[in-house]
Amino acid sequence: MNAQMLSLNQLKQFALQREAFIYYIFFFVLCFFAIVLHDTAFLTLSNFMNIVKQTAPLTIMAVGLTFALAVGHIDLSIGSTVALSALVGALLLQHTGIPLAVLGALLVGLTIGLINGLLIERLQVSSLLITLGTMGIITGIARQITNLESVPIINQDFTFLFGSGKVLGMPILLLWTIVIGGCAYIILKKLAAGRHLLAVGGNPTAARAMGIKVTRIRLYALIASSMAAALAGLLYAGRLHGARYTLGEADLLTVIAAVAIGGTSLFGGRACIVGAILGTWLMGIINNGLILSGFSTNEQMIARGVILVIAVAIGVKEIRNG
Amino acid sequence: MTLSRNLHGCNNYNAISKSITFAFALLITSFTSPLLAVDFNSITNADKSENIKLSQQQIDSLKTKKLTAALVWHGSSAWVSAVNQGAKETFSRFGIDVVAVTDAQFDPAKQVADLENISVLNPDIILSLSVDSTSTKNSYRSAIDSGAKLVLLSNPIEGFIHHQDYVGIVTDDMFGMGKAAAQLTMDALQQSGKLGIIYHDAKYFITNNRDQAFRQALKSAPNIDVVIEKGFVKESETSNIAAAMVLQNPEIEAIYVSWDSAAEGVIEALRSLDRPDIKVITHDLGVNNLLDMATNRNLYGTVADRPYDIGATMAKLGAAAILGQRAAQVTIVPFDKVTRTNITSAWQEAFKKPLPKLLTQALQQ
Repeated sequence: MNAQMLSLNQLKQFALQREAFIYYIFFFVLCFFAIVLHDTAFLTLSNFMNIVKQTAPLTIMAVGLTFALAVGHIDLSIGSTVALSALVGALLLQHTGIPLAVLGALLVGLTIGLINGLLIERLQVSSLLITLGTMGIITGIARQITNLESVPIINQDFTFLFGSGKVLGMPILLLWTIVIGGCAYIILKKLAAGRHLLAVGGNPTAARAMGIKVTRIRLYALIASSMAAALAGLLYAGRLHGARYTLGEADLLTVIAAVAIGGTSLFGGRACIVGAILGTWLMGIINNGLILSGFSTNEQMIARGVILVIAVAIGVKEIRNG
Repeated sequence: MTLSRNLHGCNNYNAISKSITFAFALLITSFTSPLLAVDFNSITNADKSENIKLSQQQIDSLKTKKLTAALVWHGSSAWVSAVNQGAKETFSRFGIDVVAVTDAQFDPAKQVADLENISVLNPDIILSLSVDSTSTKNSYRSAIDSGAKLVLLSNPIEGFIHHQDYVGIVTDDMFGMGKAAAQLTMDALQQSGKLGIIYHDAKYFITNNRDQAFRQALKSAPNIDVVIEKGFVKESETSNIAAAMVLQNPEIEAIYVSWDSAAEGVIEALRSLDRPDIKVITHDLGVNNLLDMATNRNLYGTVADRPYDIGATMAKLGAAAILGQRAAQVTIVPFDKVTRTNITSAWQEAFKKPLPKLLTQALQQ
């Protein structure tokens, strides 16, 4: 009985936390479209699988960005990293096998994260300014190396692994989301590294006093962010059977919004991996629902904004009333 | 059967069809765009949009079928809206329900997602402009395999076979438009003078070919001297480029710029530099620049296509394909050379709606 009371109290406490916000919004939006689009194929498994597949690269980016935000940094270069890593992977795939292509793409992410981190920490300059600069550089390189051409991918094993494959009937992109999201969740919630990340983001002075290597932790967080973006690039390349310099270009704001709605603080110290994943799925559901509703493009844009504002307002109200 | 002269295998190709095919072959052999994935030399037939007609009997037949269509566009603009309007109104006349309209915002990944999203609606007809042939091909293939008839706007898709994978491509006469822009430039400079070119420096099928056709046609005016060429990627860059161009080459008498909204920056720069003498020539119609033209300032002329007709033609081809008709591989929609004297009629041709009041007033002054 006591144990039951305890778990009920824990549940109630959770419902009042900032992290619960995304669940209210997600539930509201899902119900809204389920009612409005009851006569379409919205509430079908294949439609939800479409949404999960479409948002998989965004989800991975959001998970990575959560690490950067947890330590109080913003990484604006993730969109351009997606493009460059996808292009490098696709180009390598024309001459080598999958392992080297994947390694090359991930090395791009590692290098960008390292450069971002070193510049931010050594120069003690805002991450916003540094990553804004590197974003431009990376975009320029991505445009330059392929002369604005698309790079097709015909390697079917690669497109299976990173795009269209299914394992036991489950889309491989969902599997990637679960694996990366699961690893990130364990790191943040169960390992000392996760606590260090949040401590550094919450109060770097106190973290330093506790003996946490603040600079190193921030560097790791930025590398995680860039490498997640590089993996997202591979997922895009696999899904689209090719890479292009515009990949990821439009994703930055969506990812930041998804992570923020998911309960991660934009100023460090608070991070929520499940929220980041639900946040990107929420964006996918809104986009999908509005298209199926038959709205014109302009109406879709207005409705997207209105739904987000209403959902956020309801979420806030639920928490306050709770 | 009134989808008359563009039927593959039916009727003999008429002179128009042959000349259009020849023009395309000439265009492509002269100016092969790296974005162009399909070998246009392989085009077997082409037709003009005015030849695409459906009989009342065919329309009545369509109305009984309860068909649906999805419009999967590449981006949003007044131009796309007019294409959209033309398609929707035409489908409406045929009793075809438009169940989804999407905007890829020039993002191939978004367009793939859009195609996946509409797949659950199983549309009978899809009208679309592919942002990137390589990336989007598989999603189009899935839609085709589900039985949708695909009508393409301008951009071909690599590896797709006419009739088997798509109904046809509806496009502007890019070669003709570039040539007409060159003619307007010659008129503006009275066959002799200094010209600057601000071209689209990105791989984009339509703009690249129009720009190239412009350069090619300009060779017939030996007294027009192209003193400088500069490329732009984003429209926001054209103001700075034009300002620098004129400061470095004050003798410039005219500037060609790839399209209307990019020309806005050029005209803004010329105003800042107080150079009303420099004439601007571009493509497409936009209210801001037409106001400039109406008030006899910088914009001398523009070459405008007919987006409403493009949408209407695409819809007709899709509907005809449902009835088993085989369309030409390429259907070309005409364009208009626009100067101050014909702004009103060109606007009405392009958008099938009256000229905005502001422009009417400016023209009356």
